[in-house]
Amino acid sequence: MRSNKGTWLLLSPGIIWITLFLVAPLIMMIYVSFWTQTTFSIKPDMTVVSWVNFFSSDTYFGALLRTIRIWFTVLMVTILVGFPVALYIGQFIKNKTLQTALLVTCVIPFWTSFLIRVLAWRPMLGKEGAINILLQKMGIINAPIEVLLYTELSVIIGMVQIYVVFMVGPIAFMIGRIDGSLIEGARDLGASTWTIFRRIILPLSMPGVIVGAIFVTVMVLGEFATASALSGRKVNLLGNIIITQVGSLKWAFAAVAGVVLTVVMATFVAIMLRIVNLRNQL
Amino acid sequence: MLEVKAVSKNFSGVPAVEDVSFTVNENEYVTLLGSSGSGKSVLLRLIAGLLTPDEGDVFLNGTPITDLPCHERRIGFVQQKYALFPHLNVYDNIAFGLRHRVIDPVKDESIIRKKVQNTIELVGLVGQETKMTGQISGGQKQRVSLARTLVTEPKICLLDEPLGALDANLRERMTIELQNIRRELGVSFMHVTGNEFEALAMGQNMLVMSDGRIVQQGAPQDMYARPQDLITAKSMHNFNILSGDDLSAQLKAGTSDKLPATKLKDAHFCAIPMDKIDISDASAKTSGLSAEFLTSEFLGNKIIYFFKIENGDVCEVENHMSLRERRELKANATYQLHWKSKDILYYGENKQLLG
Repeated sequence: MRSNKGTWLLLSPGIIWITLFLVAPLIMMIYVSFWTQTTFSIKPDMTVVSWVNFFSSDTYFGALLRTIRIWFTVLMVTILVGFPVALYIGQFIKNKTLQTALLVTCVIPFWTSFLIRVLAWRPMLGKEGAINILLQKMGIINAPIEVLLYTELSVIIGMVQIYVVFMVGPIAFMIGRIDGSLIEGARDLGASTWTIFRRIILPLSMPGVIVGAIFVTVMVLGEFATASALSGRKVNLLGNIIITQVGSLKWAFAAVAGVVLTVVMATFVAIMLRIVNLRNQL
Repeated sequence: MLEVKAVSKNFSGVPAVEDVSFTVNENEYVTLLGSSGSGKSVLLRLIAGLLTPDEGDVFLNGTPITDLPCHERRIGFVQQKYALFPHLNVYDNIAFGLRHRVIDPVKDESIIRKKVQNTIELVGLVGQETKMTGQISGGQKQRVSLARTLVTEPKICLLDEPLGALDANLRERMTIELQNIRRELGVSFMHVTGNEFEALAMGQNMLVMSDGRIVQQGAPQDMYARPQDLITAKSMHNFNILSGDDLSAQLKAGTSDKLPATKLKDAHFCAIPMDKIDISDASAKTSGLSAEFLTSEFLGNKIIYFFKIENGDVCEVENHMSLRERRELKANATYQLHWKSKDILYYGENKQLLG
């Protein structure tokens, strides 16, 4: 069967790549998470000590819960902020060139480095930062709002700003694909603007929301830099734990955190893909 | 019932619909014939409320609806592209209007089921209810689109080239079915098409549109036999239009009996039905308009011969097989074309029929 051979030939680079750089490291990570960790070394003697430590420690299990909480908040805010922007670009801008231009505009912050984008929030949110000065000058507040920086809130603000574009893109793409005749059809059948949004635009844009949610999830769950830069190392996410554990050569423990993170991501992605059949919709 | 009065619409200065007026009566099938770009789709959208006219008014049962938004007009609009909702199945597509309309939505699912089921039977979609719109054929999509509109019981139903995307067999069947469905419901249909046969076959009343204007309206048989306007004559694709400085010379050569002198004097254009022209050999004794044979087109029950006359225009002669035997003509050979004086239609400088 020649076609079969051809298929395998075309598939092989992908398969080799995925096996070497995804499947093998994943298996290795799971394997290492059961190794025996001593202060400065690690031995391949199987044990569940690292797993027990992870789930019995408030620090680590707390970090997991915090990670999920922050991820979920960021996800919801990116949808709430991103959807109207995407709706505007996808439905209200009829000119395709302008649509593309606006989407590119969303990406402009990415022309500067990640670190600068994150650190730029410090002079914005700080006690003597731009927002506090502005609000005080306007007489809205008397004392500076301290909760703005070095808190969970600042981490969330920073992450939303960085990742919202990954939500806007896919949603705008899906909304842009909705044929104007569908909306006219619904209107002619007597539906109001709100009904058209709820019954036509929203369901048809769901695949975009799902793809955006998967992007945001994968990136936010693995985050550590925004959290350490904007929380003054007070907010520890699972990503930060992995960094410190690897830094102190606690490979087994880092592997546990890595496996937990991977499971959380995989579960979410699986649920999302069950809700919307992307293959049918895209 | 539906009355359109002096409606005009411009798009950035370019007129799309100009001073259009007509009436659609209750329980009537009206067809609107126009080539692409004639403004017929814009006119439908103006009536449906998807566009607002710059001038003029639209009335429904005597009430002006010009300023009413589309979703409050209760005018059905079956779009050319069907515009089915891809995330809903056939049943839910049809039920959409009943469930979600602003005015008088139906809350009782059992009533919806009954109405939808009746419409599904009417348009012949039984058994397709749970299929998604991507799983059905073009003809079925067309039926869903029609059913979705009809189930809301609109006062009038606008159809924008409803048969355009269907293959010939299906189109013929739908022509009959559309008429039956309309008769059964007693609702008025306004059917827009670029196909003159469709317009002639379906309408009780027919409008011809060109360059944003209605050039003629009337019964299809009159429209076909005696088009009052040259544009109508052209859009029937049944006439050879003669024109030019040598018009009277052409007529004198081709007409086998006496020509009426008065009409001839005022005529700027003449229309001669394609099936009323005879062909004879160049050597024949009878006189005729000499023409070079180009090619022929065999269409089963008829054959069309294409000739080039002296001024370069193409002249078509239609030969019905039931009337005359098929003739073999030689390419590039010269023949004589002739016709009878009573079959000629004369048009004046204003392109209107004389006498």
